[in-house]
Amino acid sequence: MVVLEVETGEIHKVVIEPVESKDFRKLTKKRYFFNWKEERDQELYKIRRVDDAEILGLVSFERIPLEWRIHIRLLTVSIENKGKEKQYARIVGNLITFVAKEALKDYGEMSCVSLIPKSKLASHYMGTYGMRQTGVTLSVELPEILELITRYDHEGEK
Amino acid sequence: MKERNKRQEVDAEFGVDSRYASSRARKADGQALMKARLERMKNFSEEDIKRAKLMQLKLQMEDYLSKPVCSEKNFFTNFLSSYIDTIYSKRSSFANDIDITPVRLSQVLNNHRDPHEEFMLRLMVHSEKAFQGVCEFPQKTWYQIYYQDKICDTLLNEDEWKPKAEKHVKLRYDKKKK
Repeated sequence: MVVLEVETGEIHKVVIEPVESKDFRKLTKKRYFFNWKEERDQELYKIRRVDDAEILGLVSFERIPLEWRIHIRLLTVSIENKGKEKQYARIVGNLITFVAKEALKDYGEMSCVSLIPKSKLASHYMGTYGMRQTGVTLSVELPEILELITRYDHEGEK
Repeated sequence: MKERNKRQEVDAEFGVDSRYASSRARKADGQALMKARLERMKNFSEEDIKRAKLMQLKLQMEDYLSKPVCSEKNFFTNFLSSYIDTIYSKRSSFANDIDITPVRLSQVLNNHRDPHEEFMLRLMVHSEKAFQGVCEFPQKTWYQIYYQDKICDTLLNEDEWKPKAEKHVKLRYDKKKK
């Protein structure tokens, strides 16, 4: 997986790995928008460049095996990567794709990844990540998961 | 309108808090979602399902190699069975495709016989073809799984082989010439 440095157009390899206890002191609400300490007991992952310890984004999620589904609880980018002035692009796409791969590993063709954004933002997630809407919930299922993996897990790496 | 879309994009990229307020809310959401998903699943193509199964197998193999568990279970033959059953409806068809007898394949799958080198090499070539256009599948994967199993098997059965092996082993240092 890679991120794109917006200013230079350079591509950088990234790694997504579990958040460690020592990371929590850096995960302030000011930089990462949510109280991440509340997610200590959940599956919680960070994304960073392979050559840099700086945390670019975070995701926490829960597996729901009876429904072959993983539900994203919290998802964010760091303050430097928000909005027009963002340093790197593709952070959120990489995080969603990572969760989608976890779902595929556990549930195969039955996989589903869901999240519930604020209603005014639903169209952004549907347009950008191919999510489908059921009530207030957005989800990606097999065809969209395969599409995400093609886009984010391969593209730009060669 | 354009400005509104931009604003939405900025907000969306900063994050989502979609934690359920209660287990009841989660259950209700799951039920509605499942109903819609079951309808959509009817339209999944055979091709996508096969791709998903191969990717799932690869991800599970990688997962096992990243944190191997030593148990009596033979992971190599388990993964191999899944691999064959994903691609073929009859295991004998796989045996034909890699030019071995169905009996020999059955012996390998039932852990009655080790796969010989030719078997492993043909399996590597077969996987290279099968994963083409699906996802990258490192050539060394099958060998890594096979040897990881061997290591676990050896460590788990130390009581059986060690006394015998010890009878044949001495440690005598040669006197160094001055």
